[in-house]
Amino acid sequence: MSFLGNSKALVLAYSGMKKQSLSDSVNIMLSPRFYTLKKEALPLKYLYQAKKIAPSLFDGLVEDPQKYDYFVYREADEWVFIAYDMEAINDFLVSKGIQPEQVAKIFFAQQASASFTVPVLLGEKEALVSLDNTVVSIPQAVLQKDSKVLSFDDSFTPKTGVTPQGVHASVLSRKQTIGLTIFFTLFALMFFVEGWRYSHNSQAAQEEMQTLLEENPSLQSQYTRESIAAKYRTIDKSERRKRDVVKTLAGMIFKGVKVSTFQMNEKMFKIDFICSDAKVAQRLVQLAKKSEFSSGKIISGNVVHIEEKL
Amino acid sequence: MNWKLYRNELIVVVSLLLMLTAFIYKNTQISSRSQEMSTLKHTATELRELVVLQNRWAGKRVSKKVDKLEKMVPSSKVKWSKKGKKLTAGYSALTAKELNKLITTILSMAVQIQELKISRNSSSYDVEFKCKW
Repeated sequence: MSFLGNSKALVLAYSGMKKQSLSDSVNIMLSPRFYTLKKEALPLKYLYQAKKIAPSLFDGLVEDPQKYDYFVYREADEWVFIAYDMEAINDFLVSKGIQPEQVAKIFFAQQASASFTVPVLLGEKEALVSLDNTVVSIPQAVLQKDSKVLSFDDSFTPKTGVTPQGVHASVLSRKQTIGLTIFFTLFALMFFVEGWRYSHNSQAAQEEMQTLLEENPSLQSQYTRESIAAKYRTIDKSERRKRDVVKTLAGMIFKGVKVSTFQMNEKMFKIDFICSDAKVAQRLVQLAKKSEFSSGKIISGNVVHIEEKL
Repeated sequence: MNWKLYRNELIVVVSLLLMLTAFIYKNTQISSRSQEMSTLKHTATELRELVVLQNRWAGKRVSKKVDKLEKMVPSSKVKWSKKGKKLTAGYSALTAKELNKLITTILSMAVQIQELKISRNSSSYDVEFKCKW
């Protein structure tokens, strides 16, 4: 693949040209037979403006102006408009053994009008010559016998030309290409933004974490954290249990029940309730069992004793 | 081969590759960051819990709050011994109302109960209480 389009061999395309056998891509220069030329001195500043009005200039000159492609360039004070039928040109080139993918660029003989001051022979019957800055095809018979002729070579290659759109090789049309490209690019943007947001969220969490650690410098070490957590979780669990036990026992005091003794330390608790009669004592034992104090039992008289580990 | 002929396909392929790259980037971010986020969240929750636990069980104001236990019953009924972060208190001849108030206050304080003894003497109660913070 060459990025220098003009370094390729230049082949002059004309009606009677011989069949080509190419191993590499080439540039093609079309003889006037393949295009319709119009020169106009229009008050246009920009090329895109000229291209826009090009089809209207060929009304009546070509059969269906919309079917044609247009090549426009400025030459001195005039705009040069060239209408060409790409499909017909491709068909011709294929018939001469030049496949569309072998065409790097297409030029028009008119572009090299300055080089055609001396006739260039087209086969045995015709010749190309520039008359009033317009390249035309003339019969060789009208040339003087001793007149000079030029041989056609790569020096005729103009600076700009038409790059085939690949209509014959391309599976996708321009509209499809634009649509798919927009679709994929939009999704790419969405994925990228989503990925960036995830990355950003993580940063926010890290900052929050950093703030927490700065407020509590003693908790910066994982080892310290684990040690402190173990210590305070044990205390919290044990103290909550003690308070729950006292609250539950307090809830067991009803009419006819009084606390005789209560003792609680780090490991266990025990309590004696004095009940007014055996019935109340029995009810208290049942209540104790319901409150998961399975050790509740009646001892001497109407005293209910509960003793459990914490 | 003239690549210009396949320009449309090339453009589409490039944009497709761009989308795939962004998709891979997003998925990489999600998988790596979600794990990181989960660890960070866990650590942050643990830290907050630790701060709460520390403030509760090793708070600086506990020492002042404990002093309430001395003043909530007549001083004649109290034997008070507070050394550093340890308290040993003895209460005698408490009424049922005073006992209830005392026990409720003890339970609401963030102290570690080492010993709590209640014994009934006819119509009054004696209490021994040891704690630290």
